[in-house]
Amino acid sequence: MLSLSGCGLAVPADPDGTLETVSGGELRVGTAPDGDLVRIEDGEPTGSIVDLVDGFASRIHAETDWTVASEETLVSMLEDGDLDLVAGGITSETPWVDKAGVTRGYRGIEGADGREIVMLVPLGENAFLSSLERFLDEEVGG
Amino acid sequence: MTETGQFGRTTLPPEQQRAIRSAVRWEIFTIVYTSITIAVIALVVGESQAMRTAWIEDMLSLIPQFAFLAALLFVRRRPTRKHPYGLHRAMGIGHLVAGVALLAVGLNLAIEAVTGLIAAEHPTIGTVQLFGQTLWLGWLMVAVMAVVIVGPVFFYGPAKSKLAPVLHNKLLYADADMAKADWQTTVASIVGVLGVGVGLWWLDGAAALFISLGIIWDGFRNTRTAVVDLMDQRARTYDSKEPHPLAADIVSYLRSRPWVAQAAVRMRDQGQVFHIEAFVVPHRGKVKVTDLSAAAERIADIDWKMQDVVVIPVEQLPEEADTGR
Repeated sequence: MLSLSGCGLAVPADPDGTLETVSGGELRVGTAPDGDLVRIEDGEPTGSIVDLVDGFASRIHAETDWTVASEETLVSMLEDGDLDLVAGGITSETPWVDKAGVTRGYRGIEGADGREIVMLVPLGENAFLSSLERFLDEEVGG
Repeated sequence: MTETGQFGRTTLPPEQQRAIRSAVRWEIFTIVYTSITIAVIALVVGESQAMRTAWIEDMLSLIPQFAFLAALLFVRRRPTRKHPYGLHRAMGIGHLVAGVALLAVGLNLAIEAVTGLIAAEHPTIGTVQLFGQTLWLGWLMVAVMAVVIVGPVFFYGPAKSKLAPVLHNKLLYADADMAKADWQTTVASIVGVLGVGVGLWWLDGAAALFISLGIIWDGFRNTRTAVVDLMDQRARTYDSKEPHPLAADIVSYLRSRPWVAQAAVRMRDQGQVFHIEAFVVPHRGKVKVTDLSAAAERIADIDWKMQDVVVIPVEQLPEEADTGR
């Protein structure tokens, strides 16, 4: 990523510092069951999306803390700053664009059945969003 | 006097004919250039309010071009019994439409920017994949804005502002003026996006507000100019800065006639040409009609903008008329 390291500034930056907070700490992720993407077994989420998010977490040296709830509840928690990321069977047609930052769509995720999957981050946390998109580009392609 | 008669002269001298042809070419160039700009910005506009505002401004800037080209079709028509003054006002109407559109959309955008700032909406700008590289979309926005600014500021803005005085065309002048001021929009949108880049989310909304205030100001100026001309204020120069000097030229020509004791003129702007009513008080209260027609013809010969000239003998000059002093 291009950065203005000379000025001690990284571009893009997070106004609320999400990437900095979660790196080496805790990544609070919300999800909801959706076919093979996310399955809940004994209250623990598994599936291709969960593997993907765990992969991202280890990239930034974070531990994932999963919350399972309905999508609307998850988006409210994201807005209130109680979650850092919402991932599951959300597609690029998502109606939450005004309430959350939406990643680009990814088609190559296992179990998505050709759906273009997106993830939700807090609005305007652009460094966090960019680092997530960069990871997804590498793992599942554009 | 030309073959087209006393009223509704629609032929132009060679210099103006060249200028009109050149203006039409520039307007078409502008429309093509701006359309490409709009399409390219659409690819990168994202969630940035500043970019969205700049993008809508580009769309709005097409209105004056189309208004000018459409009005040109009408002002060329000869006056008829149904339209005895010709259709020159089409230019003023085009000007008014462009002004009101700018004003309305500018206000809308300003409100959007302010509500976004109050609600503390953090603009979300992620990445794009370009040639296999993941790149922050903000850099692409900055690059696109820096490239598209070249057209209005260096090419068609200055070109049109040279043509506007030649054609005495206020619509063209306003259009050129807005194009030359387009760099402010570009700089503002770049500042907004870079602000988001370094984490100052409010800079995006502030830039959007700045751009929309510029649009409102353009809309207000254009609407005001168009309205006062349509309401027949006395003719002013193409930039509306001062009363048009031709009024004084007409009066001094009339005064130089041996049969004229006093003279004054009412001159209004029809959009690109003038409608002139000259009042004369003849010596000894008498005048020959041949003198009157000769005077009207001579006035029409002073300048190509003198269209629709009548010379009226009166006992006493009307107070409202311009005595050129």
